[in-house]
Amino acid sequence: MKSLIAFSKKEALEWWRSGRLAILVVVFALFGIMNPAFAKLTPWLMESMSESLEKSGIVIKEIRVDALTSWEQFYKNIPIAMMVFILMVSGSFTTEIQKGTFILVLTKGLSRWKVYIAKTFGMLLVWTAAYWICFGITYIYNDFYWDNSVAAHPVLAAAFVYFFGVWLTVMVPVFSAILSNAIAVSIGTGSLVIISYVLGMLPKIKDNVPTFLMGSQSLLVRAGVPEDYYPAIAVTAILVLVSFGLGWVMFDRRRL
Amino acid sequence: MNMLEIENISKRFGDKSVIKDLSLSVPNNCIFGFVGQNGAGKTTTMKMILGLLSVDSGQIYVHGEKVEYGQNRTNQYCGYLPDVPEFYNFMNAKEYLKFCADITEMQPSESKARSEMLLELVGLDKEKHRIGGYSRGMKQRLGIAQALLNQPKLLICDEPTSALDPIGRKEILDILITAKSQTTVLFSTHILSDVDRISDRIALLHGGKVVFSGNKDDLRRRKPAVGFEVELENPGAVDAILRLHTHAKRLDTLRVVFDTATEEQMHQAISLLIQEKIPFRKVEKSEYTLESMFMEVVGK
Amino acid sequence: MAEIQEYLPLIIPLIIVQFGLLLYTIYHIMTHKTYKKGTRTIWLIVVIVGMQFIGPILYFLLGRESE
Repeated sequence: MKSLIAFSKKEALEWWRSGRLAILVVVFALFGIMNPAFAKLTPWLMESMSESLEKSGIVIKEIRVDALTSWEQFYKNIPIAMMVFILMVSGSFTTEIQKGTFILVLTKGLSRWKVYIAKTFGMLLVWTAAYWICFGITYIYNDFYWDNSVAAHPVLAAAFVYFFGVWLTVMVPVFSAILSNAIAVSIGTGSLVIISYVLGMLPKIKDNVPTFLMGSQSLLVRAGVPEDYYPAIAVTAILVLVSFGLGWVMFDRRRL
Repeated sequence: MNMLEIENISKRFGDKSVIKDLSLSVPNNCIFGFVGQNGAGKTTTMKMILGLLSVDSGQIYVHGEKVEYGQNRTNQYCGYLPDVPEFYNFMNAKEYLKFCADITEMQPSESKARSEMLLELVGLDKEKHRIGGYSRGMKQRLGIAQALLNQPKLLICDEPTSALDPIGRKEILDILITAKSQTTVLFSTHILSDVDRISDRIALLHGGKVVFSGNKDDLRRRKPAVGFEVELENPGAVDAILRLHTHAKRLDTLRVVFDTATEEQMHQAISLLIQEKIPFRKVEKSEYTLESMFMEVVGK
Repeated sequence: MAEIQEYLPLIIPLIIVQFGLLLYTIYHIMTHKTYKKGTRTIWLIVVIVGMQFIGPILYFLLGRESE
């Protein structure tokens, strides 16, 4: 137990001293602020452009902005933030394998599963913190300027997207066990999103794939109900568990 | 009981056979030199001892316990210094040793005392900077400190001196000699003078096999020094001497060796050199050195 | 914009966070001599040109020497 804590402490120190933690938190916070900022500035931007637009024949009516405009930005931007997160964590295992820092730790008798647990949960923790900071900031601004009550299930809808991120995060160790560098791991994780997206085009299973969770915005505008997402949640939950187990086993066999 | 027992291990990478039926035993409290050319399979063998690589066949026992790939129960007896040790660059030496002590579940009081002692031993006790800025030699010294931290019964060092300058090498060798009182040291190298300087026992690895293993003195005794060596001025002189003496053998471009030659024959050869005005640099009675043995084995 | 005050709660944190990120990244660049890729000048330019957040992210992904 003490050794697990020791390795987790090392992970925390690395997150902190490498600046990765600061960067991720700041970037996610920035996204959180930019969502309402964009919504708030939309009418003003349109107004200032309306004259030139009118000349080209486009007539702009009064633009209505509310919390939903800001939430729309949130869902538009969160995939980018997710991408940044995956890029940032993709080297967590592979750089240690490449450099050989694992070897010294493991030859001291630290079990591989402790390394796996410490790293994977570290990533999940940072993903959780960064994501909900972003969400929280947008939420508070939305309440401040408008009213969140126009949106149905704001927290639940965000949790669905968050859960999709959890799956991608646990895939990073799995890819790290078979690929040799951070870029390959990022590409691997990214291609998983594409596969899920492509499978989502098949009418029969389109509501069951993990990427379906990324469309949880429909809850906000009451175009859907939470129940619609249960199959995709179940599939993703199974995938998370399988990936987590797979990563565990594969990291045990990984040649260092 | 031997500290390390390797029984008939083999290892292939793809269709390349790296280790072929290798057996070796390392007794307690000695410095064991593991000698071989680059690519002879030294690092592979060490990684198998540590369970970092799987063996295709055969067994390895450390302190009587069988080594299993991927598991590291036997690693509690081992301290390991890789050829290019890499640490967490965001820590300093003290933090790193504290971290190492914690992952081996060492008592805090013990860990503090030992890391202070070891940092002093390797001369890093005054160093406050992060490891990221260390030189090769400093990293090597920190590597020894971390390897010795939990008082291993077997210290495994992979080419500990090859990347260092002469002073750095001497420092490392001296540390290893100091360590001998507490642990068994297995170290690999291709620098023969290092082995000669510190090791009690040696094993010579060539082509994935142990071609000699035993006491350093056994080696000398096994084959008493006979014959002599002539070093010549130019390669042409080597050809000349080979024409004159059928039992002479070429050692390299400038040297000829007379195996199993008597004193008498040496005198004859010298007078012939003078007679024929063959320019030579020196004539030397052979001593059966590690180097000559190495050359003999490798030249086969 | 008469009602600039209405925008202040957005603008002030945005400026603080962005400048914080920018300054932190510049500090990081200046306190390191070697980078995974690129040189100090290149990274300073990238970070300042892409100061919104792209520059710093690029730097921390590609330029930061593993510490």
